[in-house]
Amino acid sequence: MNKPSRLSEKALCDPVSLEIIRGAIAAAQSEMEALIERTAISAFIREKKDFYTALFDGNGTMAVGSMVPIFGDMTRPVLEKFPMETMQEGDVYWYNDCYGSYGAISHSNDQVLLAPVFRDGRVCAFVMSWAHFADIGGLRPGSISPDATDIFQEGVMIPVTKMIEAGHVNQAVLDIFHRNSRYPDQSEGDMRALMASVELGVRRVGEILDRFGPDVTEDALAQLLERTRNLVRDKMAETFDYGTHSFTDAIDTDGHGNGPFHMRFSLTREKGADGQDRFAFDARDSDDQAPGPVNYLMNKGVPGMALGLFYLGGDPSQVCNAGGPNALDEVLFRKGSFLQPEYPAPLGLRGLTAMRMISAMCGLLNAGGGEAPAANSAYVVNIMRGTYRTKSGALEPYLLADGIGVGYGARATADGIDAVYFVAQENYPVEFLEAGYPVTMRSYGIVADSGGAGRYRGGCGIVREYEILAEETMVAIRIDSVKNPPWGIHGGKSGRHGIAIVNPGTPQELRLDPLSDGNMLKRGDILRIETGGGGGYGHPFDRPAETVLQDVLSGFVTADAARAEYGVVVSEDAIDVPATNALRAKRPETRRFYRQEYVDALV
Amino acid sequence: MPSSDMSFDPSFAVAVDIGGTFTDISLMDRVSGAVWRAKTASVPSDPSQAFMTGVNMVLEQAGISAQELSGVLHGTTVATNMILEGKGARTALVTTRGFRHVLEIGRQDIPRHANLFTWVKPARPVPADRIHEVDERIGTGGHVLHELDESSVTALVEKLRAQQVEAVAICLLHAYANPGHEKQVARLLRAALPDVAITCSTDVLPVVREFERSLATVLNANVMPGVSTYISRLENRLAEAKASSPLLLMQSNGGVAGTEAIRTAPALTALSGPAAGVVGAVDEAASCGIKDIITVDIGGTSADICLIRDGQVNLTQQGKVGEWPLSLPMVDMVTIGAGGGSIAAVANNTLSVGPNSAGARPGPAAYGHGGVEATVTDAHVTLGNLPHALLGGAMSLDVDAAKAAVTNNVARPLGLTPEDAARGILAIMNNNMVGAVRTVSVERGHDPRDFTLVPFGGAGPLHGCALAELLGIRQVMIPSAPGLLCAAGLLAADMKAEFTRALPMPGPVDQDAGDKILSELTQDAVTWMEHEGIAPDQRSLQARALMRFHGQGGEIALDWGSTAQETEARFRDAHTALYGFILDAPIELVTLRIEAVGKTEPVDSPMLAKTDLPEPLQFQKVIWAEGVVETPIYDRAELGAEAVIKGPAILTQLDTTAIIAPGWVATVHPSGAVLLTKETT
Repeated sequence: MNKPSRLSEKALCDPVSLEIIRGAIAAAQSEMEALIERTAISAFIREKKDFYTALFDGNGTMAVGSMVPIFGDMTRPVLEKFPMETMQEGDVYWYNDCYGSYGAISHSNDQVLLAPVFRDGRVCAFVMSWAHFADIGGLRPGSISPDATDIFQEGVMIPVTKMIEAGHVNQAVLDIFHRNSRYPDQSEGDMRALMASVELGVRRVGEILDRFGPDVTEDALAQLLERTRNLVRDKMAETFDYGTHSFTDAIDTDGHGNGPFHMRFSLTREKGADGQDRFAFDARDSDDQAPGPVNYLMNKGVPGMALGLFYLGGDPSQVCNAGGPNALDEVLFRKGSFLQPEYPAPLGLRGLTAMRMISAMCGLLNAGGGEAPAANSAYVVNIMRGTYRTKSGALEPYLLADGIGVGYGARATADGIDAVYFVAQENYPVEFLEAGYPVTMRSYGIVADSGGAGRYRGGCGIVREYEILAEETMVAIRIDSVKNPPWGIHGGKSGRHGIAIVNPGTPQELRLDPLSDGNMLKRGDILRIETGGGGGYGHPFDRPAETVLQDVLSGFVTADAARAEYGVVVSEDAIDVPATNALRAKRPETRRFYRQEYVDALV
Repeated sequence: MPSSDMSFDPSFAVAVDIGGTFTDISLMDRVSGAVWRAKTASVPSDPSQAFMTGVNMVLEQAGISAQELSGVLHGTTVATNMILEGKGARTALVTTRGFRHVLEIGRQDIPRHANLFTWVKPARPVPADRIHEVDERIGTGGHVLHELDESSVTALVEKLRAQQVEAVAICLLHAYANPGHEKQVARLLRAALPDVAITCSTDVLPVVREFERSLATVLNANVMPGVSTYISRLENRLAEAKASSPLLLMQSNGGVAGTEAIRTAPALTALSGPAAGVVGAVDEAASCGIKDIITVDIGGTSADICLIRDGQVNLTQQGKVGEWPLSLPMVDMVTIGAGGGSIAAVANNTLSVGPNSAGARPGPAAYGHGGVEATVTDAHVTLGNLPHALLGGAMSLDVDAAKAAVTNNVARPLGLTPEDAARGILAIMNNNMVGAVRTVSVERGHDPRDFTLVPFGGAGPLHGCALAELLGIRQVMIPSAPGLLCAAGLLAADMKAEFTRALPMPGPVDQDAGDKILSELTQDAVTWMEHEGIAPDQRSLQARALMRFHGQGGEIALDWGSTAQETEARFRDAHTALYGFILDAPIELVTLRIEAVGKTEPVDSPMLAKTDLPEPLQFQKVIWAEGVVETPIYDRAELGAEAVIKGPAILTQLDTTAIIAPGWVATVHPSGAVLLTKETT
């Protein structure tokens, strides 16, 4: 897997061309993204923007990916079924088969389109576009339900398939697929957008190959891969001393009465026989798979991708590619664990597990002595399906999958990010939502005190309050980290957990199970969802009083919490300096991590 | 009162373009086509000072008085700079109860190309403690769900006073479909706070999506007092000079408008300067009979790239100013952080150029102001592309400093010769620009080879041939005054305004309902034209429709037809042209718009006389890819019409230097532009 370093030899691609190729492939990727965004039909893709693109070298190794640590090895499943020598110009391959792709994608809604790029009669590169389709059949509209107990209930599965053979579209397979969607028009429109984007990618990458020649381009991609791999390995060696470093985090439940489910990560650094460092990631001690759909079929590339993104930081001259995964010498999972479930375990809600995985990776880095963020909250999804009455009085079905942002963990030098869902994924604006769905939004704002207290405050979550205008609707809620709130570090405290309440403040008030489906609401009901915040970083008493005051005035922290958590007394929109000094003189003891209490380690 | 007479006879118009370092002024006699030009140092603390200094300079040159001016045209970066530097007015936002954190939440995303571990959400232009809620609610379609409780507005007045707010933006939910409550809030606040600038979202951007609309409104409010004060200063200075002609300002959409319109919506000027350059390029290309151009405006820190087909400048509503999306109509251009001052650096054995810039001070090492980093200009100097003494003798270049900067920062770390390093810097710079040209061309369905490249700005003409080679473009046009094209654009610009209405609910094309809305918008447009004093024979109105397939997020703008079928057919054609496919899905009309234009008559510029090819000023060693050549340097002012110069050669003039690369031939067009064509071998 690890090629010998080429930097020592005379490189084919000079540094100037290397930079030019790097810029050109990034531009090609941006073009593909822009096309999807402008032409896709479903709100899920074009408003929420749940799509990603990537380019691969002629071996199928990722040369430029998206900035999300959830991709796996996307080309392997295609190459196993359709060997390189059988591929033709104009082919486009398609799959959404999670188990068949070893978790390259990890729930069936995500459709992957992959196309080879030919030059001189051989495959020199691949391009990929990938998007979440709103409905692909299955148990409930949206194809994702906390109630699912196997993957058959999560929609139609497409094993690796040749959708287009040398330019000829296999219309039958598309027809079958669209026929299985409750919203075939959206399915068709979104598929057209994905197809157009890979076609564009093939053209652009072809132009790069023409300009520089396949050999120079190949060498450039190899160098970029090597650069990222070396950087990640150098930085891992700075973080992790020899020996084994461990961290444990957990999700609460699978929505079927089971849990918590612990993910136990360790990273071992040792000297190999060749004198080189060996880095091994091991998640085998994680808990058994869940009956409910929170299993996360984790591709072997994911831990390295997460580490890679962390170490690349925001440096724009670095490339997010397979160099991250390649930096790890070994990745170990246990079949039958909830990170490597046996077919046909359900996977639909793996997003909350993936979000917890990101905070567990941060925990592992912190346990090793690195300066990674505190834990993030897991983004929240509210799926509503039901019927509403049109102006003419007819009953129409509708499906709304509303992703709601959360707070992210505080960093060593900055607050956690307030109110975000994920990389590239946007909200449904209130004005858009109300025009397209039978709801009225009563409020959409920041949840005060949801961010974990700290020198750097954890990001705050969001409140979104809906008035139901549908005749009736069934609500699925996905909120995690209620029992295991996002941890804080170095004195920083936990983020607050999320909550979903129907008709709050009335005699009919009802608190929904945080991970549940089948909640029936009717016209006039109010649904209030508050999402969780991220963990804090550093001692809350070290946060400048002025910053705490600004948080109070802006609705991020209440005056009560300012006093109790930060030792800052705010009265009449100003700091009471003597009272604050007196409180801050009595500085509480802290320990390394905080989750409901201060502890030295989370293992 | 603005003048009611815009006829240009006799007609001296003056144009003032204020940049970061210099203020450029052009005075034109629209009858004879004669032009007088001047350049003076900008005065950032009071730009109106340089404005008037410059106007007086050209008046003196032409021997006329300010009273004889019939038009004063101006491109300004006052609004842009206030937004970029966060120096606008202390602003508050009034929003609907329950939605105070509309700006903080934004679109709740981490940007697609940002890193989730390190990204920090940028501070909003208005912090949440200055965002206030009022009790009211309008629903989808503009239906009032809850009437405005006026007491919740009056309750704000004391808070706004206590917060010493200078400007208030009002953006209420669904106001684009029903501006009633916003107007009511504005009326109450204006009465209580007469000294505070107040903006309603429906006066700035009456379209759906509350975050983007709130942001545009806030930015507009933010720059309103500053722009208003600035306009008053200009008007006072003009009045002192007894100039009675109307002051017209360039907008981001490439048209000029009177001061009243700009005072209401100053955010419309956010891309004023770059838009003027594009208009200037279009105008000069037209005088050579060229209609399809790609402009590349390269300054010190950035480059603006724009594609113009058939003489028509495209507008976009998806522009950005700094970090912020600003969904107002702007010339559809791409800006990248690459200019003459962009710094080349090596890290991890990788060479990158920009976006950091040496700025005006210290500037490139070659300028001798103490710069030590290697810039794009230093790469040019190392290769001999710039005359060692710039014409006019105003400045000589420090060749040794430039070479040292390139050697120390790039050549040595990469193990290259200084010349190869310099070539590498330019190759990367050019490649960045090629990427941007692709964004405006191929990405939008145009083949760049069908276009003429028009490089301008101080550094543009140095890169014309190289960019053309990379793009397969066969013709390059160097304007007659590439460094002063913005001022020329102001003189050529039409007056423009847009009157837009979002449909309460997007839906199929309803011809009668659409015609009705358009006729109302037309009335608004006619009122504006009369107010601006646009003569009836100079007026034009175009009805436009913004459409999409049901479910899509982006709309395509096209001309409104006389039947629904015609308009829908235009939409399908446009979708195919842009994206290569259409869908079997319902087509929706989202927004209607009247684009009102007051035409500026083209001026017949005097033609250059034919002269013999002059002797070169001097020869200089230039290191081309093909080898070192003693290359002639010509003074462009000495070139007559139809002069032909074979590359390699360098043309020098007061405001810029142009390269004629080996294999290219320059021909001087009678209009003064130089056309470069690739020799066929």
